[in-house]
Amino acid sequence: MKLSTYNQRLLTIEKRTRRFMLGAVGVMLLVLLMIAIQQDYFHRSTTIYFFTPNAQGLSKGMAVKFVGFKVGSVQDVSMQPNATVRVKVALDDEYVHLIGQDAKARLIKEALVGESVVEIIPGSQQVKQVTHNSVLAFERGQDASTVVENLAAQLQPILGDIHQITSSINNPNGDVQQTLKNLNQATGAFRETVHQFTQLGASSNQKLDGAYGKFDKALDRVNSSLETLDKSIPKLVEKADSTLGNVQSATSDIKKMTSESATEVPALVRNANALVQDGQDTLGGVRKSWLLNGLFPQPEEQALPVDGYVPPKTLP
Amino acid sequence: MMEASLIVRPVIVLLCTLLLLSACGHVEEMRSARQEQATEFNQRAQRAFQRGEYQTAAALYQNALQLDVAIENVNGIAVNTLNLARVSQVMGQPALAQSYLDSLLKDQALHYAPAHLAAAAVQSSLLSLQQDDEAGAGKWVEQAAAYCASDCTLGGVIDNARASIALHANDADTALHWSERGASENRNASPLEYANSLRLAASAKLLKNDADAALHLAEEALAVDKSMGLPEKIRQDLLLAAQAHEKLGHAEQAAQCRDRAGRIAAASVK
Repeated sequence: MKLSTYNQRLLTIEKRTRRFMLGAVGVMLLVLLMIAIQQDYFHRSTTIYFFTPNAQGLSKGMAVKFVGFKVGSVQDVSMQPNATVRVKVALDDEYVHLIGQDAKARLIKEALVGESVVEIIPGSQQVKQVTHNSVLAFERGQDASTVVENLAAQLQPILGDIHQITSSINNPNGDVQQTLKNLNQATGAFRETVHQFTQLGASSNQKLDGAYGKFDKALDRVNSSLETLDKSIPKLVEKADSTLGNVQSATSDIKKMTSESATEVPALVRNANALVQDGQDTLGGVRKSWLLNGLFPQPEEQALPVDGYVPPKTLP
Repeated sequence: MMEASLIVRPVIVLLCTLLLLSACGHVEEMRSARQEQATEFNQRAQRAFQRGEYQTAAALYQNALQLDVAIENVNGIAVNTLNLARVSQVMGQPALAQSYLDSLLKDQALHYAPAHLAAAAVQSSLLSLQQDDEAGAGKWVEQAAAYCASDCTLGGVIDNARASIALHANDADTALHWSERGASENRNASPLEYANSLRLAASAKLLKNDADAALHLAEEALAVDKSMGLPEKIRQDLLLAAQAHEKLGHAEQAAQCRDRAGRIAAASVK
């Protein structure tokens, strides 16, 4: 081979290598650019803070939403020397003018199941908008477990009241039992009096005075029983009223909870179904791809093995 | 050297392209949703059968068969009909099992694979033998052998069926011949049939008053059946071992084997 041809080939190789290197550097730069865009390095944002007694449910990277739109993210969650937690939030500049200084940050769960987000509750429009390093008030929203806890707390006194009423009814020295006993005695005495009165009427008018006396006594006892009943009934009615009130408030809570979750649950189920379907489709696609289909043979209908043994007659 | 590399490179590129094209051109066999459903029923039935849930297995095989009939999947019809016959036999319904087998063996409209017909014929033979119909059993086993010409994996089963028929007729030599042939065919093919061959050989040896050899065979069959976890087979192995012990004069060991077999029977697990 001639030296000039050899040199020419070397030059060609060098040229190609240079092109390849330039291409590789270009691709690397493109990837870096895409990462930077993904990480919001070209996005202008305003940093604000809020403080909370504990960091439960808060984490770096968590979405910050305003009227349902993502307007920023949690940049940092750090503990302060006084054992409070400082949360640093980066808000997109284009939304900052919508958030007033009196806005609140609230930690909520968007669905029954899923990650929590920080929701910005708008303040009044007149107040000045948040600026760099502004501090917002923070509160925790109620999640499903808190609602259930509240519900349980409200149900407890109701159960207590019901228990008290039933024990009061069952107590032999209680108002209800005593009233019933008195009534029983009174009716017994009244029956006896009527009997005597009949006898007296038939035999003699002399004993009529005594009978009247007994009759009076019996009526007195009936009166006293009715008085006791009068006293105890308002108490019972009062207790029943408070119980019904508690039941009503519990029912309204339950109704509220179910109406809140009514829109979310079907969507959740639909999403889960779609997710499973997607997973199945993906797996099906992977199984059918020519690189992997050898690893997943299609299942076939299988025959049971024939058992070629019949025990001889000598075996029981 | 330079020229050689100039030729080799395009050839390699061409080969790679062809390989890639052939791989992409591979067409996956398309199966209908109903056929996939039938396969699913069949697989669920297999699992139910292995767990001893025969009623469930029968219902699932019925579902699979119904779908296969609807889409005229001949292989599926044969497989699920054979499976239904087997389940019915295990459930103690020989008449029903025979009717399933007859539906395959006497079908004039559909043409089943010879392997499936051989399986149906050998099952018919074993059913006939269970009902002490030695002539019928002999006829069907010959039919099975005729179907089982090439590509047939039922040779060992047919040998065992022949050994069973010979044992029924108290023909120890013939039984031993077929069972030993079955054992050599089944040794690496099917543990179930290998244990069957050993058990049949043990019975033949007992008939020939060779209790020592019978005991060894029964113990080997017992080990195989235990490894597969088949209670009824384990019970039969133990009863055979008890007979062998009795012939050897080991009354105590014979009683122990019978006691063990009794406990397995009491467990009522098929």
